[in-house]
Amino acid sequence: MKMISVEHLAKTYQRGDGTPVPALRDLTFDIEAGEFVTVRGASGSGKSSLLNIIGCLDTPTSGTYRLAGEDVSRWTDEQRSHLRNQRIGFVFQSFNLLPRTTALENVELPALYTGGPVDRGRARELLGRVGLKDRADHYISELSGGEQQRVALARALMNDPPLLLADEPTGNLDSASGEAVMELLTELNREGRTVVLVTHDERTASYARRELLIRDGLLASDRPLGQATEEAGRRPALTMVVGR
Amino acid sequence: MNALTTLRIALRAILRSPLRSLLMLLGVAVGIAALIAIASVGEATRRETLEQFKRMVGTFDVVNISPGGARTRGMPSLTTVEPTLTFADAEAIRGGIPNVRRLATEQSAFDIDIQYRDRTATSSVWGVSADWMDIRGDEATVGRGISAEDNASVARVVVIGPDVRTALFPDEDPIGKTLRIAEVPFEVVGVLAPRGAGPGGSSLDNLMLMPVTTASKRLFNRDYLTGVTVQLQDPSKFDAARDAITILLRERHGIIPPVEDNFTISNPRAAVESVEAVGSTLSSILTGVGAIATLIGGVVIMTLMLMAVAERRREIGVRRALGATQRDVLRQFLAESAVIACLGGILGVVAGVAIAAVVAAQRNLPPVLLWQVMLGAVGVSALIGIVFGLQPAWRAARVDPIEALRA
Ligand SMILES: Nc1ncnc2c1ncn2[C@@H]1O[C@H](COP(=O)(O)OP(=O)(O)OP(=O)(O)O)[C@@H](O)[C@H]1O
Ligand SMILES: [Mg+2]
Repeated sequence: MKMISVEHLAKTYQRGDGTPVPALRDLTFDIEAGEFVTVRGASGSGKSSLLNIIGCLDTPTSGTYRLAGEDVSRWTDEQRSHLRNQRIGFVFQSFNLLPRTTALENVELPALYTGGPVDRGRARELLGRVGLKDRADHYISELSGGEQQRVALARALMNDPPLLLADEPTGNLDSASGEAVMELLTELNREGRTVVLVTHDERTASYARRELLIRDGLLASDRPLGQATEEAGRRPALTMVVGR
Repeated sequence: MNALTTLRIALRAILRSPLRSLLMLLGVAVGIAALIAIASVGEATRRETLEQFKRMVGTFDVVNISPGGARTRGMPSLTTVEPTLTFADAEAIRGGIPNVRRLATEQSAFDIDIQYRDRTATSSVWGVSADWMDIRGDEATVGRGISAEDNASVARVVVIGPDVRTALFPDEDPIGKTLRIAEVPFEVVGVLAPRGAGPGGSSLDNLMLMPVTTASKRLFNRDYLTGVTVQLQDPSKFDAARDAITILLRERHGIIPPVEDNFTISNPRAAVESVEAVGSTLSSILTGVGAIATLIGGVVIMTLMLMAVAERRREIGVRRALGATQRDVLRQFLAESAVIACLGGILGVVAGVAIAAVVAAQRNLPPVLLWQVMLGAVGVSALIGIVFGLQPAWRAARVDPIEALRA
């Protein structure tokens, strides 16, 4: 089943003075359910713009975006809000946890917007899953960056979404914390969740099974990545691509 | 998102910025406190004025007939009234008007010198018929009142008010003692129950009652009355009684229009209505105060909520990304301002009641709790929160999540 299907996707922003900024020009690709895909590209190449559209936070200027077969780019803001709530888990580079709030309350957030009751037990369980069982009632300011990102991961899982989107999730972390987060994402992907990851970092990218390279809003390459064990052999090619 | 969740999120947000919340709370509370304090003190004053008036006239369900035309002002006194209302008039009313239950006649005079041994005092003197005390609601706490026999025998007896007792008999039993009114000796047969303060807070207890026959024949030597009080069988038929009495007295006094009446018929209720009118002026002033208070509270709420929205753009972005709809965000911020305003209203009501209690205690006013006004004030507060929170909440709902999250 196709989880994500984009066709001739384009996004043009308007600058303050009215000049158009084409961030995405013409993108066409599919992502099957259960894939682990990384999106790479230079700064300003349009990675975040693409992820925002995939995450239903933004709509394309032209082209179509289908999520699980449905053309959601035509949906209303309210419908897309429900979609984000039910089907998509976000992980951001800067964590985006609510300050002066406990880890547990942060994890519960998505459940507040489901219309149903909040399953506090599940929130605790998820915190246990990311290794923060005893940090549940700590305030965010009392947690390290790595712990905060794991809280964010637990939050992304609260409503059990099939699709996880991560925009530079390790960008603000040291390598050990970053690896822990990537291990978790890999595990979640193995469970069958589709993961789309935006990153600059090769090591981070190497956890994925497929790489989409974006340049100037266009798809420069789309190729599979080897297993972690094959990684060493593939490195030169990867470096060449990035180096261009 | 259900209402309870909205409320819970709002409460958490309120507690997360205690200073801002407190400022908003106070912004509403100050106005509401002022409103409640003014309303309570105003109502207490109105009730006390009404009570004073009632103590002066004794009862509302009567018809008062006084000599002189409509332009006559002030308390009727033998020295000032026209000699147009007579004992015979009173008897004619008693016999000729169908709705009359009881009737009392009076001759009043003020600033009369009285003396007991070496003590002197100045008091008003009221010659009254037997039913006068009863109709008015006066009672003797010690001794007895003025009876029909006293009137029949033209007895030189007086019932004194508490003030007179204090002045002339500070530490002795006045009953049976003889005091002198303008050199005429009278025996004290009773002491009136205290009436309390009258309009303006003046005492209503500096008076003496005696039989109206005695006053007329032995003290004042006047055969006209200063007033007739008629108690009706059915007080609601005041208008009919007034018309009947008017016709009767005009005929007896030979008055043919356009000559004006030489008597005035009134009802204490009319006077009460003028007191009530003062109350309604007060309530329109209150409305003004309330509007200003509302405006101040509302502006404080709006300003601080706009600040809150600007400060919490990121939080809004996060919530939107996690699935909050624009409506969810709108409701969250509206709930916040409404809850704060409501709490401010409650605080304001409590403070207002406290202020009113202090003022009432200082001015000897009865304590007043205006439940409806209090409840209304809290409701209005919540409404302020919603109305003035609408614009900030709308702004919050319109925050672009992508932009808010990028920062
Ligand atoms: N709201 C906006 N208004 C105008 N231009 C924008 C807006 N958002 C993004 N852009 C522009 O679109 C282009 C793509 O931006 P985007 O954020 O998608 O890049 P990116 O690949 O995520 O970069 P980075 O790796 O630095 O995060 C950039 O040139 C950026 O300046
Ligand atoms: Mg980016």
